[in-house]
Amino acid sequence: MEEQEQEQQTPRTSGGSTGGVISLRPLTLSDVDDFMAWAGDPDVARFCRFEPYVSRDDALAYIAGTILPHPYFRAICVDGRPVGQVSVTRNEAPADAHRGELGYALASGYWGRGIATEAARTAVAEAFGGRPELERVEAMVVVENAASQRVLEKAGFAREGLLRKYQKVKGKTRDLVVFSRLSTDADS
Amino acid sequence: MEEQKQQTAHTSGGSGVISLRPLQLSDVDDFMVWATDPDVVRFCTWEPYTSRDDALAYIAGTILPHPYCRAICLDGRPVGSLSVTRNEAAGDACRGELGYVLGSGYWGRGIATEAVKMAVAEVFGGARPELERVQAVVDVENEASQRVLEKAGFRREGVMRKYFMLKGRTRDAVMFSRLSTDDDS
Repeated sequence: MEEQEQEQQTPRTSGGSTGGVISLRPLTLSDVDDFMAWAGDPDVARFCRFEPYVSRDDALAYIAGTILPHPYFRAICVDGRPVGQVSVTRNEAPADAHRGELGYALASGYWGRGIATEAARTAVAEAFGGRPELERVEAMVVVENAASQRVLEKAGFAREGLLRKYQKVKGKTRDLVVFSRLSTDADS
Repeated sequence: MEEQKQQTAHTSGGSGVISLRPLQLSDVDDFMVWATDPDVVRFCTWEPYTSRDDALAYIAGTILPHPYCRAICLDGRPVGSLSVTRNEAAGDACRGELGYVLGSGYWGRGIATEAVKMAVAEVFGGARPELERVQAVVDVENEASQRVLEKAGFRREGVMRKYFMLKGRTRDAVMFSRLSTDDDS
């Protein structure tokens, strides 16, 4: 599966599109317009808990209030330009500090190229590398979101089960698939 | 079906009417019977109680204000307790988590199973219309508790690896759930 992805990326790079160097870096207030490109897109937000952003001011407030102080929040960049976001939560309560939740969103024009998969892999490796108490990164995906489930499988997460009517997303109670990767999981 | 026969036998034996009611400060001595027992708290996140004052503080501070906490009573006497949490965040209010403990002298008689069935019926029964899912997280080695939930009509959804911290160690846990829409089993 990974070999297929690499073959797909080579033709696109040679075709003169924006290319394929994927990197993660902290998101800043000056990224707000790039942020709006994915965070304002209803297709991107469809299975997420957030509503698409319509106001630049709301986006700035979110970046300032939530993203900047976040323990691990990164812009997913293609050739240095933010096209999405990835984050891993940190729980303060000692009983839950060994666990973090992965989330990500990618501008719809960049779907289907393995970008989210690579970003998820990198983010999880960085989170495990930087936080010795972190043993488990989990991700919960709405059952209809097949694309995101594939991202996690390719990123080396194990599918643990279907949690029925687990959470309300966009006004409806949803079944969510729970995935996890452990700090002790072998590279896959 | 087996359980109903067991309950009838218990009733005829002079004990066996299981009921739920709020736990009170005056129940502290009964509470201490199960809460001080290392066998009972083996798979609980808390250590056995050693002090009556600590128990009173826990009942006053955590149990009395709890949205749903009940004593499991046998012929009117508390022999264990159970609770179902309530989540305040709008997206999570559809779900509550069940926990229960039972004095070890009362194990193996279907009491926890019956208490869980009664509690689930109560929380789904109208007090919390937004509640759609009751879940329970059980240590993979706690087979007795897994059987309680299966008999109480919960569905096993999967094993969550290193999901919770039990007395300083991370543990794999089985996730169970019962929905307000599940048929009686």
